[in-house]
Amino acid sequence: MVKEQINQTIDKILANIEKVMIGKRDVAELSLVALLAEGHVLLEDVPGVGKTMMVRALAKSVNANFRRIQFTPDLLPSDVTGVSIYNPKEMDFEFRPGPLMGNIILADEINRTSPKTQSALLEGMEEASVTIDGVTHKLQKPFFVMATQNPIEYEGTYPLPEAQLDRFLLKMKMGYPEHHEEIEVLDRAQRVPPIEELNPVIDLEGLRILQNQIKDVFVDDTMKRYIVDIVNQTRVHGSVYLGASPRGSIALMKAAQGYAFMYDRDYVLPDDIQYLAPFVLSHRLILKSQAKFEGITAEEVVDQIIARVPVPVQRLVK
Amino acid sequence: MRKRDFPALLLYVLGFLLLWEWLRPIEQLTNTDNIEIFIIFLLLSFTLSYFKLKWIWQFAAKSIYILLFIQRLYYEGSFFQFSWLKSFITDLVHNVGWMFARDWNALSYEFRSFLFFILLWIMGYLIDYWLLRQQQIFLFFFMTLVYITVLDTFTDYDAKMAVVRTVIAGFAAIGMLSYYRIIFREKVNSSPAFLKKWMAPLAGMIAFSVLLGVVSPKAAPVWPDPVPYLKAVKEGESKSSGKRVSRIGFGANDDRLGGPFIGDNNTVFKAMATGKIYWKVETKDLYTGKGWVSSGLTPISFKEGDLVPVYSIPNGVERSLETAKIIPADTHHPLIVYPAGIVRIQGIKPNLPESTMFPIDTTTEKIESFRASEYSIEYGIPRYKVEDLRKTTGFQRSEMGQEFYQKYTKLPENLPSRIKQLTEEITAGEKNWFDQAKAVERYFGQSEYSYDQKNVALPGENDDYVDQFLFETKRGYCDNFSTSMAVMLRTIGIPTRWVKGFTGGDFLEYSKEADNKTVYNITNNHAHSWVEVFLPNQGWVPFEPTKGFVNDIRIDYGTNESSSNRQYAPPAPALKKPKKETSDDTKQTKKAEEKKVDLDMLWLKTKLFFKTNWTWMVLSMAGLIAFIAILYRIRGRWFPYILLLRYRFKQQDETIATAYLILLGQLDRYGLKRKENQTLRNYAQYIDSFFSTKEMTRLTNQYEQYLYHQRLPKGSWQGNRKLWENLIKKTIA
Repeated sequence: MVKEQINQTIDKILANIEKVMIGKRDVAELSLVALLAEGHVLLEDVPGVGKTMMVRALAKSVNANFRRIQFTPDLLPSDVTGVSIYNPKEMDFEFRPGPLMGNIILADEINRTSPKTQSALLEGMEEASVTIDGVTHKLQKPFFVMATQNPIEYEGTYPLPEAQLDRFLLKMKMGYPEHHEEIEVLDRAQRVPPIEELNPVIDLEGLRILQNQIKDVFVDDTMKRYIVDIVNQTRVHGSVYLGASPRGSIALMKAAQGYAFMYDRDYVLPDDIQYLAPFVLSHRLILKSQAKFEGITAEEVVDQIIARVPVPVQRLVK
Repeated sequence: MRKRDFPALLLYVLGFLLLWEWLRPIEQLTNTDNIEIFIIFLLLSFTLSYFKLKWIWQFAAKSIYILLFIQRLYYEGSFFQFSWLKSFITDLVHNVGWMFARDWNALSYEFRSFLFFILLWIMGYLIDYWLLRQQQIFLFFFMTLVYITVLDTFTDYDAKMAVVRTVIAGFAAIGMLSYYRIIFREKVNSSPAFLKKWMAPLAGMIAFSVLLGVVSPKAAPVWPDPVPYLKAVKEGESKSSGKRVSRIGFGANDDRLGGPFIGDNNTVFKAMATGKIYWKVETKDLYTGKGWVSSGLTPISFKEGDLVPVYSIPNGVERSLETAKIIPADTHHPLIVYPAGIVRIQGIKPNLPESTMFPIDTTTEKIESFRASEYSIEYGIPRYKVEDLRKTTGFQRSEMGQEFYQKYTKLPENLPSRIKQLTEEITAGEKNWFDQAKAVERYFGQSEYSYDQKNVALPGENDDYVDQFLFETKRGYCDNFSTSMAVMLRTIGIPTRWVKGFTGGDFLEYSKEADNKTVYNITNNHAHSWVEVFLPNQGWVPFEPTKGFVNDIRIDYGTNESSSNRQYAPPAPALKKPKKETSDDTKQTKKAEEKKVDLDMLWLKTKLFFKTNWTWMVLSMAGLIAFIAILYRIRGRWFPYILLLRYRFKQQDETIATAYLILLGQLDRYGLKRKENQTLRNYAQYIDSFFSTKEMTRLTNQYEQYLYHQRLPKGSWQGNRKLWENLIKKTIA
């Protein structure tokens, strides 16, 4: 990738995150892209690589209300969304908001809880509102969920169905830090955790303005065609049982807009799409069982498709 | 489906032309009259479907047309009396009955016409379907070609022009349809400019291939024309014997002689002459061991009334001039028959314009005719003097060219040596060429050798044709005798050539036009071959070795006068302008006819021009192609300069659109390929790191804005042009 001038505000947020996180700039960037594009992120990784730290730093930087839900098998939907409790003083039911009523939510180990609770979360993500006892409660805006799941432990988990994975804008892996980075992690661990000392860069209102600006990022017809070409290819690829839906195309476009904005550009480039496609599309594909046996991963399939679809280099003939 | 625009009209016309080709031979080959009614019907149905009339109207119009013309052709009275309709319907019913009874001969003519109309109706619909819905016409085009070529091969129908027409119409239709298929498949909006870009090369391609096909020399067919054979079979005359039975008659291919013959007494031409004379068609000079071929071609041309550039009788030989009139039985016969000593051809009918050129090959002495139905030949009958003939005893450079001598004494390397031994035995004691040739000619008169058309061997892979005949079979017909004599004489160094043609033919009648002339009928059975021996100062003197045949040649034995001893000079007939013969009053009446002939002549002229110049044309074409190929190969050295020049004075900012794409093309040619999935930005970095600049990235940034944001800063081309020019210059090899 060509290193470009980065948006000043975004640059400050990233710098803030980097104060607590060592390395992992790409994960931070992608999380910001999802936050700006009003999407949600699924982090797939083992515990202890700093997922929580990153989300908390992000939340602090935008001065957002941070909530964390640790998903367990016995968690109930009301534990997520909130519950109405009878208040004897007022002689009425009073709504006690659950953790979903925050701005930035870390949904840890989402595949550990029952599908019922999962769907409560996912519904909230999609509709931006929850309905409890017949009353619809609007969720706060901005609303950003970063869910994690552990890909190693399958014992006693409820894997998310594909239809629900579709609701995440991006899926990514965190990965272990580099050798020298990990040494620095140890250095910092000896001192006071700096997370408490982070200052917000913008407030929620500022974030909302940024989110609105992203919608103005220009997407040319050639780029729309390129996106659709790529998504179409996922539907005809030999190893794919079920390809990405039109929601996938929309997600890719939105993510590309966010990414372009992050690099202070008001139009989308094919480079943006190529970079983002694996994160946006890989969790939306269902591979054929034969391909799975052969050890082909969805990321590889997306890479193959990117290598196959020609980049548009001239204007469409009208 | 498609709109009713001009291309659709063009497609309809092409479809109609293709279908028309199916109808053209019908009139000639079957006893179908009034074919134009059917053609008009086709035209009608194409017009109706072009205008996309509702099916009911189309149906009505076609039905009325069919009924109208069936009534016109087969019934009396007015169309509106309708009484005929009743009889037509009863006729239909009867015919349907006969049809199911498979009594085909009973079918009435009106029913046949009716069925033919229906067939055309269906064909019209099919063409419409193929052209405009399926957009695929190849199958039909191919079937048309097969149909025409089959008819051409097995019937009298001459499809030369039909093939050309079909190829033009078919290629055009296929080309247009593939354009529309691509447009449709790729969902591209077609602009008129785009259409032009496609159609212009298409037209060029068709013109080029047609021209090439017409002009290029074509090998003569390796099989004999089956039409006369089929006719013979039809007449119940076929008798087959042997493995390879040839049909007697005149064929162009003699590279494998041998095998039995069957007779064929179809008339080839009639000749009105003073006596029976041998008719030459062509000569061949190179013996291969299996047969004769021509060593090369030297095509030239001459006009009617000019001296024919054929070398036969030198001026030193006394001769008397005669004329003979030839009436070919089949005007398609492509060759002119002429006696030895031909001087000029005249009186060709139908009349040819003054400047018509006849192609002639001076090596084979083959003269092509233009489908003449009648022509006269002025020729000289030589009167050789035996003492002149006997003068030559060996090869002398002063009498004939070395090259010429070698050409006519050339023999295959593996010719068995016993032929030479035999010849030397036969000619022992004879001093001069003439007597040696006579001795060989006499040798075949022995009873050992017999004339036979049926039990004639075909030489095997390792046999020599002459050797087999002389020493093993000793049976054969003219080809065996004449070839043997020609080859034998060559072994002892006497230049000979092999002549093909016809013998004098059968007496038919005394001529009514001239008192002293007789009309002879020459059939395929009279096809013959003989030998000519070259004697310096005497020219090519014919000999007749074949048993039972006599060529009447006058040789003066007794006297002691000698004819002049002029040196051999190659014949260079002065091209004289023939006198204008048409008188004024006949001119008026023939004007209309001439116009038609003019067109034919134009065609003949162009054909002749190509025929005489084709080597030159092929060479220059090859040169041009080579030149273009070289230009293409070194395009890296000159093309960028043209580009620089082209874009120097452009002002608009949008120029970057084409300029950038051209730059990509040039970089690609330079060897810096952009992978299809590589983004411009990524590629630009690669280019910049290759040339160690930053120009490509800067230019690419501008182009990205143009391409992906539809936005260009005003006046940006000024700056961009500098970047672009620098980059283009880098691609110069």
